[in-house]
Amino acid sequence: MATLEVRDLHVSVKDEESKKEKEILKGVNLKMQTGEIHAIMGPNGTGKSTLSQTIMGQPGYKITQGDILLNGESIIDMPVDERARKGLFLAMQYPAEIQGVTNAEFLRAAINARRADDDQISVMDFIKKLDKNLALLDMSQKMTERYLNEGFSGGEKKRNEILQLLMIEPTFAILDEIDSGLDIDALKVVSKGVNSMRGDNFGSLIITHYQRLLNYIVPDTVHVMMDGRIVKTGGPELAKKLEDEGYAGLRDELGLDIKLVDDED
Amino acid sequence: MTDLAEAKEQLTQASQQNNEPAPLLQRRLAARELMTKLRLPRMQRFKFHDWPLIADQPLNWVLSATDLEQLTPDDEVIRVTQVGQTTVHIHIPDKLKAAGVILTDIFTAAREHSDLFERYFMTAIKADENLLTAYHQAYLNAGLFLYVPKDVVIEKPIEAELIQDNTQDEPLISHILVVADRGSKVKFIQHLTTVGDHANPANMMIELIARDSSEIDFSSLDELGASTHTYFKRRADIGRDAHVEWAVGLMNDGDTVGDMDSELLGEGGYANSKMIAVTTRHQEVGVNNRVTNHGKHTTGLINQRGVILENSELIFNGIGQIIHGAHGSKADQQNRVLIMSDQARGDANPILLIDENDVEAGHAASVGPVDPHQMYYLMSRGIPRKQAERMVIRGFLGAVLSAIPAADVRNKLVDILERKLTDGQQYQ
Repeated sequence: MATLEVRDLHVSVKDEESKKEKEILKGVNLKMQTGEIHAIMGPNGTGKSTLSQTIMGQPGYKITQGDILLNGESIIDMPVDERARKGLFLAMQYPAEIQGVTNAEFLRAAINARRADDDQISVMDFIKKLDKNLALLDMSQKMTERYLNEGFSGGEKKRNEILQLLMIEPTFAILDEIDSGLDIDALKVVSKGVNSMRGDNFGSLIITHYQRLLNYIVPDTVHVMMDGRIVKTGGPELAKKLEDEGYAGLRDELGLDIKLVDDED
Repeated sequence: MTDLAEAKEQLTQASQQNNEPAPLLQRRLAARELMTKLRLPRMQRFKFHDWPLIADQPLNWVLSATDLEQLTPDDEVIRVTQVGQTTVHIHIPDKLKAAGVILTDIFTAAREHSDLFERYFMTAIKADENLLTAYHQAYLNAGLFLYVPKDVVIEKPIEAELIQDNTQDEPLISHILVVADRGSKVKFIQHLTTVGDHANPANMMIELIARDSSEIDFSSLDELGASTHTYFKRRADIGRDAHVEWAVGLMNDGDTVGDMDSELLGEGGYANSKMIAVTTRHQEVGVNNRVTNHGKHTTGLINQRGVILENSELIFNGIGQIIHGAHGSKADQQNRVLIMSDQARGDANPILLIDENDVEAGHAASVGPVDPHQMYYLMSRGIPRKQAERMVIRGFLGAVLSAIPAADVRNKLVDILERKLTDGQQYQ
C-alpha cells in the first residue's frame, strides 16, 4: 500500500503584473492511499490547480511551509521527472504540443524511463498494450503516429492524457479538470479509462468543480477547497449536496468569511 | 622573383604534374593574381577574419590512405567516395552511362569533358568575389563533376562520401559541379567527414546549374572535424521553371562560415533552402542563407533552425532579395535558434530586400531558450531532463527535418543529431 500525504502546505506564486509573491495555498492537509479515489471540489481561483501542480513539481510554485510525502518520503526537493518515476502522474488541463515527436515514441520513452536499461519494454508488448488501451478509449491508431498533442482538439488532448495514464500506470494520478470542455460521450470514455485503473495499486486525486464527473468516477472521499484550504471533507454525498446548494451555501453554513471569485459585488 | 611570380611558377608546375589542360592552369594563375587584390568576405554580425582559412603552402598532390572497406559494387547504387584528393570509388550503372550521364572527379572532367567543364565551372560562383573564392580557383585540389543530360531522370540518389584527410597537413579545396540539363531530374546526397586531427582549412564549394525545367535535390550532411576551419559556398543558378531543394544538416565540430545562395534567374523558378545546425563546445558558426528572385513568378523559401549548446555561437542570416522586375514573385523565410545554455550566443537575422511591388514577402525569426512548458510536460511523464531536451530540440528541428525528401538521409541526420546533442549535453 502506497501513501500520498500533503502536510500544512503553503504555496505562493509570483504575480506576473505586480511581481509580488501571492500566497495561494494557506495550509492544505490531505492524506490518501492506493485503493482510494479522492475528489477535490471548489470554486474557481481557490488553489485546486496550484495544489496539483505543486504536488507534481511545476517550477513556478514556491513552497513556503509544509511538506509533501510519498510513502513517507519528502518529495519537495525532487525534480519533476524523479517524482514521476516514483509513481506520480498529473493529467494536465493544458497539455503541451510537441512537434517532431510522435505520440507512440513519447509513450515508449515514458514507459522506459521507469524501467532499467536492460529491461526496456519490447516493441511487441508495447503495441499490445497500446492497442488494448486505444480500444478502451475509443481512439484510433492514427492518433499514436501523430505528433504529440499537435493539432489535437480539446477532447482529443484529454483522451490522450488518459491514454498516457493507462500506458504509464502510475501509483497516484492527479486529474486536473479532466472533464472541462468534454461532451457527455467523451466524459464517459474518459471515466471508463480512469475506472479501469481502479484497484489496490492505484490511487487518484480528481480535481473538478462540477459534480457531474463524479457520477461516472465515484470517489471514496470528497474534499471541498476554498481560499487555499480544505474546508470540509466527506463522502460522495458531499458532492451532491454542493451541486444542490452551491459553494456559497456551504461557505455560509461553515461561517467562513471568504469572497468567492464568481460572487457579484 | 617576387612572391607572386614564385607562387605562379609553383602552380604551373603542379598543374602540369596533374596533366591539367591549359584553360584550367590559366584560371589558377588568374585567380592567384586576384588573391593579391581581394579581401575576405564579410558577414553581418559574425567575425572570422582571424581564422586560418588559407593554408600557407603550395599546391601539392598527395595520396591519402584508402584502406576503407571495399563496397560491393551494386548496380542500383550510384556512389562516389573521395578521401582527401584521392578518389577511392566511383560507380554509376551502365544504363546511366549509356544515357550520357557523366560522374567523374573534377580534374578528369577538366581533361575529358572540357566543353562542359569550361562552360559551367565557376560560372555560378565567381573567382573574383572575394579572397576565398579566388583561393579556391587557384588552389583547387579535389572535387566532383556530375552532368545529367537533357530529359534524363535519375531516380536513385547519387551518394557522395567525401572524407577530409587530416592525418596530414594538407588543406581540402573541393569543388562539386552539378549540371542538370533541360528537363532532367537528379538527387544528390553528400556526406562530409574528417579523419585525423591535424589542423587544416577546408574550402568547400558547390555549384548547381539547374537549367530550364530541371529539378535538383541537394542534401548535405556536414560532419567535418573539430580541427578543421571551414569556409563553404554553395550556389544554385536556377533556370526557367527549374526547381532546387537544398537540405543541409550542418553538424561540423569545428568553426565554420558559409554561404548558401539560390539565384532564381528564369521565370517560374523555385528554390527551397533548408538548413539545420547544431553547435557545441567553443565552436563558432555563421551562415548567410540567401535567395534572390530575379525572374518573374519565382518562389524563394528559406527555413533555418539552429541549436546552440555549451559555449558555442551560431549566427543565421536569412537574406531574401527580390530584384526590380521580378513581378509576382514570392520570398518567405524563417530563421529560428534555440539557446541551450547561459554561455551560448546566437542570433537569427532576417533581411528582406524588396525592389518590386506586386510580390509576396514574409519572414519570421526567433531566438530563445527551450520552451519550459514543453520541458515540464515531458518530465512530468518521467522522462529525464536531458532526454526531454533532446525531444524538444528534435521537435523544434522537426519542421525542417520532415521536409527532407529522402527517408534514409532524414534518419541518418536524426542519428547524427542525437549523437551531437548527447555529446553537447555532457558539459552543461
